[in-house]
Amino acid sequence: MSDGSRFFALLLVCCLLVTVSMWAVTLGTVHIPLRSVWQAIVGFDGSREHLLVMTIRLPRVLAALLAGSALAVSGAIMQAVTNNPLASPGLLGINAGASFAVVSVMTLFGAGTGDVYMWFAFAGAGGAALLVYTLGSFGLAGQSTIGLVLAGAIVATFLTALTSSVLIFDQSTLDAVRLWTAGSVSGRTMAQAAAVAPYILVGLAAALLLGRHLVTLSLGADAARSLGQNPMVWRAISVAIIILLAGSAVSLAGPIGFVGLVVPHIARLTIGVDYRWVLPFSAIGGALLVVAADTAGRMIFASQSFPVGVTIALVGAPFFLWLARNRAGGAT
Amino acid sequence: MSADDRHTLGKLAGQRVSIAYGEHRIVEDLDLVVPERRFTALIGPNGSGKSTILRTFAGLMSPASGTILLDGRSIDTLSTKDLAKRVGVLLQGPVAPEGLTVRDLVRQGRYPHRSLFARWSDEDQAACDEALMLTGTTTLADTPLDSLSGGQRQRAWIAMTLAQRGEVLLLDEPTTYLDLAHQIELMNLITVLVRDHGKTVVAVLHDINQAARYAEHIVILNNGRITAAGRPEDVISAEAIASVFGVRSVIIRDPVADTPLCIPL
Amino acid sequence: MIRLLVLLAALLAGVVTASLAFGDISLSWHALFETIIGSPEASPQNSMIVFDLRLPRVLLALLVGAALATAGTITLAIMRNPLAEPGVLGINSGAAAAVMAMIVLVQEPPVLLLPAAGFFGAAAMAVAVYLLSWRGGTSSMRIILIGIGLSSLASAATTFLSAFGEIGDVQRAMIWLAGSVYDANIVKVRLLFFWLILPLVLAWMSARELDLIRFGDNSARSLGQPVDLVRALMIVLCTLISGAAVAAAGLIGFVGLVAPHIASRLVGPSHARIFPVAALIGASLVAAADLVGRVIIAPTQLPAGIVTGLIGAPFFAYLLWGRRHVRG
Repeated sequence: MSDGSRFFALLLVCCLLVTVSMWAVTLGTVHIPLRSVWQAIVGFDGSREHLLVMTIRLPRVLAALLAGSALAVSGAIMQAVTNNPLASPGLLGINAGASFAVVSVMTLFGAGTGDVYMWFAFAGAGGAALLVYTLGSFGLAGQSTIGLVLAGAIVATFLTALTSSVLIFDQSTLDAVRLWTAGSVSGRTMAQAAAVAPYILVGLAAALLLGRHLVTLSLGADAARSLGQNPMVWRAISVAIIILLAGSAVSLAGPIGFVGLVVPHIARLTIGVDYRWVLPFSAIGGALLVVAADTAGRMIFASQSFPVGVTIALVGAPFFLWLARNRAGGAT
Repeated sequence: MSADDRHTLGKLAGQRVSIAYGEHRIVEDLDLVVPERRFTALIGPNGSGKSTILRTFAGLMSPASGTILLDGRSIDTLSTKDLAKRVGVLLQGPVAPEGLTVRDLVRQGRYPHRSLFARWSDEDQAACDEALMLTGTTTLADTPLDSLSGGQRQRAWIAMTLAQRGEVLLLDEPTTYLDLAHQIELMNLITVLVRDHGKTVVAVLHDINQAARYAEHIVILNNGRITAAGRPEDVISAEAIASVFGVRSVIIRDPVADTPLCIPL
Repeated sequence: MIRLLVLLAALLAGVVTASLAFGDISLSWHALFETIIGSPEASPQNSMIVFDLRLPRVLLALLVGAALATAGTITLAIMRNPLAEPGVLGINSGAAAAVMAMIVLVQEPPVLLLPAAGFFGAAAMAVAVYLLSWRGGTSSMRIILIGIGLSSLASAATTFLSAFGEIGDVQRAMIWLAGSVYDANIVKVRLLFFWLILPLVLAWMSARELDLIRFGDNSARSLGQPVDLVRALMIVLCTLISGAAVAAAGLIGFVGLVAPHIASRLVGPSHARIFPVAALIGASLVAAADLVGRVIIAPTQLPAGIVTGLIGAPFFAYLLWGRRHVRG
């Protein structure tokens, strides 16, 4: 695929994203025309309609956009760093760490407000990822990527086991946490979205500048080093960005696994392996998938609280299967 | 440093270098000098430590003891990036991610020259175009590596190391996978790089006659030690071949190039 | 190799003996010995505890562990990916979705139906993954990607059911899925044994095929291996083995991933050596996990699947950590 057609594909997805996002804001129990949405943003007058836009519709769409792009980009970086198609931010222990932190807080202090969980989820995700990175880089099997991969599997398994051992004995926590676990952007406030937005935007900017280095990194440690790249330094930088992005996303929308794993694959199967293109494509594609899935969930199931984690798989998996079947592994 | 020192130390030199994998010592107390602006060939039987020495000289492995000098300075004092600006390496059997094109690969050769946020410069473009041209891969530039033949792929990787534009090129068995015509082309390319571009080239070669014909300096290795080093006509002898490879042979003059030609008996 | 096998067998014997002795009512070594040899001095109560309660449970744990390790070894080889475990084929997510659906949707499902649902969920997914990735042949990469896609669909179903199902049902399903050998009895052990014996033997006999297929499709094919056929057969074996293990004990994760890794670090890359070592390690892991889960917070029992995560994971980390200088 030439750079021209890649650019065109990217533009197309961008337009689609803008359209779907605007449509998502107008959609709901009350239809709100785009003009009113715009007025609510630029000249908020406190009317019921404007309140609806600014406190419910817009935060929800923004949360979906932020979480989707952050998860997809961090997944792409993760797959480049480990050179493994099975890798996702979850492999760094992000989801397991966040779930464990949230479940612990709920069990120890009882169910609280969403704001509290957010920070615990972020801390849990970051802590788990740092542990995985430390184990994987300085301990296990030298500095090879297999060390990182195994360390991730170990830490994630351990934390998940801890979480389940709490949940199978504590029914009230299970009841309180299960919707969060499914992944959801319903009921997110503007303050919550604004709280993580800076981290995600910084992470995205850094990731887009990183693209070139990721191609070098994916040539393997020896080749990277012979080209003057220090693989250890770049791996550390990559992991830091992943923590920033995926940690924020999980704290905002819960442990959504699918986006980080699958969107980078979709990007690669569509436009090729060059990370300078895969990263922007993943960012836009991830946002599009989550917004579209959330909107579809609201529409089809006519329920505001339907977990977006479920609809993402329902919307994204068939498309992904079709792509994988037709494009992957040198179709014979 | 006087001109004299520079001459005795060469461009790239190893001083009392020992290399080990864990407890297993491959190379012990090696002193190896690579003359500047010359084509040096490393030959020796399988397992004689040629590739290991090349990796160590490229800074990819740290020696257990001893130092590697580039222009008289230990390469430990250079950052990996600065080293990569000056020394390009082609390893055996490199693997690229599925779907990467030749151009993408060759662009990677500019990695050491670009600072963190540097844009793609005209010089970068010129280096890539030149590398593609020299290796005859210009027409393949937009083809994914995995759909190329072994020889084309090998040339693409060589192009990547050329795009680095280092003064020194280290090539581990660069003629593997190449047919006769491309082998000769590569040898001629190395000659041009040395003669016209002032490069210093070190290559591990399996074909003794190829080494004797094209290289100006030959180092024969056996069990991690140098058994002979010097001009081809001085080091290629029936005795040396017999003691290193265990093959009886006669050495005649190549009727075309007037270099030593080894005919096994 | 022989010394290692003896060592592992001794370890296994130790775990088994401890499992028979410890529990709510712990037996002294002497009493256990008397009971096992059937001496007339042994109390009937003790022999009931040992033979009817603890022995089936230990045997089930051993079988499940060996099965998971064997299935893991097979997937690791045919997928050529260090992260591959039977779950890659969709086996775990399929079983989870089927069991969750059965518990949440069916009023008072018969207990016997749960293992059946687990097995069919697992098998249906594996078949679907293989069929969808077939396009005049298969490739490891395509199987992995299709596995990811189908698994995420099945997981979405599980998530949906667990988010909206009746909370008591959801918790019951979670316990079942956590993986345990609580409800072992001798009939179940016998059934699993006869089910597993043929696939296990076949898997071990195909060690050489696995040695070969790991080199990549082209190399293997050039050496005369019918790659697609071998991969299909291996996936069938893997499904039979791990599907049965899941049906018998729920989702005991981690063993299938870790046992082959430990084994290949201990004995090298030859599958003829990896299989027996991995099986012994897997059996010891599950049996030990069950023992620990039984006694650690007695009288409450922790499912073995959770214990493998809680204790197996740090232990594996320690093993790898200890060997870092060797490979450094």
